[in-house]
Amino acid sequence: MPRISIYQEDHIPSPSRRLWEAFSANPFALAGFWAVIFLLIIALFGPLIAPYSPEMQDPKAMLLPPSWDPAGTVEHFLGTDDLGRDIFSRLLYGAQLTFGMALLIVATALGLGFVIGALSGMTRGLKSSVLSHLLDALLSIPSLLMAILVVAVTGPGLENIFWAVGLALTPQFVRAIHQAIHEELQKEYVTAARLDGANSLQIFWYVIMPNVWDTVIIQTTLAISAAILDIAALGFLGLGAQAPSPEWGAMVSQGVDNLLIAPWLVTLPGLAILFTVLAINLVGDGLRSALTPIRN
Amino acid sequence: MAKYLLRRLNLFLATSAVLMLVLFLATRMFPVDLGVALTGVEQPTQEQQQQTIKAYALDGSGFSQYVAFLQQRLGGNMGISMTSQQSVAGELVDVLPASFELIIVTSLMALALGIPIGVLAALSNSKATQNVIMALTLTGYSIPVFWLGLSLSLWFGVKLGWLPISGQLNLLYEIPRVTGFVLIDTLIADTPYSMSAFKDAVLHIILPATTLAVFPFTVVVRITRAAMANVMTQTYVRAAEARGLSTAMIVLRHALPNALIPVLKSMGLMLGAFTSYAIVVEVIFSWPGVGAWLVQGIYQRDYTVIQSGIMVVALLIIFMSILIDVLHTATNPLSRKELYATN
Amino acid sequence: MPLLDIRNLSIELDTPHGRVKALEKVSLTLNPGEVHGLLGESGSGRSLLARAIMGIPGHNWTITVDRMMWDGKNLLELDSKERRALMGSDIAMIFQDPSGSLDPARSVGSQIIEAMPRNAELKFWQQKKYKRQIAEQWLHKVGIKNPDDLMEAYPWEISEGECQKVMIAIALANKPRLLIADEPTTSMELSTQAQIFRLLAKLNQVHGVSILLISHEIETLTHWCDRLTVFYSGQVMESGVTSELINSPRHPYTRILLEYLPNEANPHAHKAFMPSLQGSAPALQHLPIGCRLGPRCPSARKQCVAQPLLIHEKDRYCACHFPIRYDENKHDHTAS
Repeated sequence: MPRISIYQEDHIPSPSRRLWEAFSANPFALAGFWAVIFLLIIALFGPLIAPYSPEMQDPKAMLLPPSWDPAGTVEHFLGTDDLGRDIFSRLLYGAQLTFGMALLIVATALGLGFVIGALSGMTRGLKSSVLSHLLDALLSIPSLLMAILVVAVTGPGLENIFWAVGLALTPQFVRAIHQAIHEELQKEYVTAARLDGANSLQIFWYVIMPNVWDTVIIQTTLAISAAILDIAALGFLGLGAQAPSPEWGAMVSQGVDNLLIAPWLVTLPGLAILFTVLAINLVGDGLRSALTPIRN
Repeated sequence: MAKYLLRRLNLFLATSAVLMLVLFLATRMFPVDLGVALTGVEQPTQEQQQQTIKAYALDGSGFSQYVAFLQQRLGGNMGISMTSQQSVAGELVDVLPASFELIIVTSLMALALGIPIGVLAALSNSKATQNVIMALTLTGYSIPVFWLGLSLSLWFGVKLGWLPISGQLNLLYEIPRVTGFVLIDTLIADTPYSMSAFKDAVLHIILPATTLAVFPFTVVVRITRAAMANVMTQTYVRAAEARGLSTAMIVLRHALPNALIPVLKSMGLMLGAFTSYAIVVEVIFSWPGVGAWLVQGIYQRDYTVIQSGIMVVALLIIFMSILIDVLHTATNPLSRKELYATN
Repeated sequence: MPLLDIRNLSIELDTPHGRVKALEKVSLTLNPGEVHGLLGESGSGRSLLARAIMGIPGHNWTITVDRMMWDGKNLLELDSKERRALMGSDIAMIFQDPSGSLDPARSVGSQIIEAMPRNAELKFWQQKKYKRQIAEQWLHKVGIKNPDDLMEAYPWEISEGECQKVMIAIALANKPRLLIADEPTTSMELSTQAQIFRLLAKLNQVHGVSILLISHEIETLTHWCDRLTVFYSGQVMESGVTSELINSPRHPYTRILLEYLPNEANPHAHKAFMPSLQGSAPALQHLPIGCRLGPRCPSARKQCVAQPLLIHEKDRYCACHFPIRYDENKHDHTAS
């Protein structure tokens, strides 16, 4: 039979292109996306922009309110704390600690979780069971308790956060990836590929992974927002970043003493955390709803 | 079903054993003498040392030490607190009810508000309502809990002076401890001021419970909304519509029971984060629960408190998540289908 | 007077590609007591029509209709509540996905009992027992031997055929005057299919229920239906009494469909191509203007870019600018 092209062909965009189109159609998600890029720039170049060093104390300007207050000055745009340190500079430096650290932790946890999850997902029987359940016990220890345990062993400090939050996040990645791979393995198209003679590695990379990436992406965005909140909470409790550090959670806890006379010391770092986590969640939400039609 | 329950029990035991192993290993890494970390006695006499070595099999192999550790801990011997020199088990019994009280009130608040709002968000056709609800939940989901707690106590506790911001009950009231739940104790207390003490207890719990409820509330709203929106497109809902059932009837009889199943499941997944939040909230509002007690323990390097606190909380979480899993299976006929398929 | 009379019903869907006219000027007349077949490919909008009749539109639909009469009452004048009440009592529908039409979280029995009509003479505590009795009677009528077992079960524990029988029992319990069956036998085995159709035919004869049977299987429809309406891509092509339609199709589309029927006489030469329309049915976002069959129609001409009106002629309706003449068909038959 002759092939007749009666209707003009629809251009079918590639999956990543379609993902971007669906994602950018949502204004909130796009706003979150730009906010995240903005935060990344601050985390990378914050120290270059900051007018003061985070620990520099200005004895002439203590507890100065932000510049829009009649008593504030433009030199200290967001005011100063009880030691005369510039809040704006500290927030810029803190982005590196809170946001940058969260990215680092999640990247590590993702790498580790991906390897273990992929191994346990692709194998069967005892090995798979041991690998996937090994970390289940860790899953039941909330990140804060894990941090308390780590701090009890090594003493407080910023490095411990890395271990505490990382140990709490890794099992989540392992479980998510293990389950996603396991689910895909049950499907018929994998059997079809196997019948075509694909070996395990090919099946893993070319057949299963394209269908698991979305789980990984969603889990990653969830993990980043959880990591930021955890780092900040630990800093606030004094278990993570210690007193002079400009980590945002620690800044809140340093500002608590002057909560009544200088509420901006608590409000500003809190807003910074809220803004960051909100941006990440907007992106995560946008990605999830953009990925859903592709998955179905 | 029996086989399934047995498997869950098995999972509980295995996970608990691994957890205990983690704690056992962590105990040896504490920067104090092992005997002190295990018992909490800082200057033990010769006799006490001998007793510790015997009880924890410190001269035996690693495995027998672990078994002895399990025996001691699960037998209720958690040593004494290094700071207060009181039995840790006794202190735990004192602080646990306060935490339970807070968590129960919070969960009720989150569910009672979250489910209707989630359903509303799913059923509403107006884009504006949906956007407002989604924006609110996303913000609630992203807000750092300690900051929220501080801001709420600053506004409602200090600036407006409406609500107390610390503790469980005004110290002026002397309420005999019966159940450990202050809300119940004040009600059953045989004193003339029992009613006003109850009111005081209610006022005290409002701020911490509200702060803590924001996170589970947003999760419940989001999941209820998604599940509900999904259920409403199913054929059986359309079939019910075709049968002439009213929308309210369809939602109550058919859609809601199906939509609540994933909500239950999400509660299990939320437990860990929820516990972390509860600890922070307890610290901010000086709530005399496990969380505040634990954080106090870490400030004072009270290793026995840290150990047993973590042990109890983690065991409770494991137990709760498996309980929720079992409940999920028991109430959801669909998951029984999967059970048949796997068995 | 016809039971259901629809004139020029159009349904527009809001899709990502813009507003699409999924159903264009569809007319349908259904007489009391008849089995009316709705024949069309999947995606030709048959289910949309069924849902529009039931009054359960989707949220992105825009419905325009000139006339929609149910037994002399104008459906357009009813508000949604009255409409629901009417649907509950007079029209019932069964779906193409029977196991999905039952709530998976509740036992089959509880759902059947819920759907049974109440007896106004009984007190409310007697209702449940009464409803259960009625339910068992109906289950028996639709051919389920042991209703007790079935009522205990969950929808996913029973077979598709049983589910569909349950759905039919539920649908008939309120004694409807019209039953809309939307592909009631997809994904069923042939013997079960036959059972369901026999059941529907019996109900039609014994209880006088009119049935609107939606299917793509031309053989089943020609076998079970009194009248047929042929759909293509959201437009009505032809409508008429089944036997006449088969013997002398007036629309080119109908004629080609009929050629698909197995014919023992085998009029075609050996190894010849099966006669079929070229191309495929247009996607929703690429609907042609005018007669939608146009681009594929063997007898299409310039005039076909305007939608032909549905011409009424001797109890036959046909929407074609160049209908096949009766003598042409005769000629064809003698030739074969």
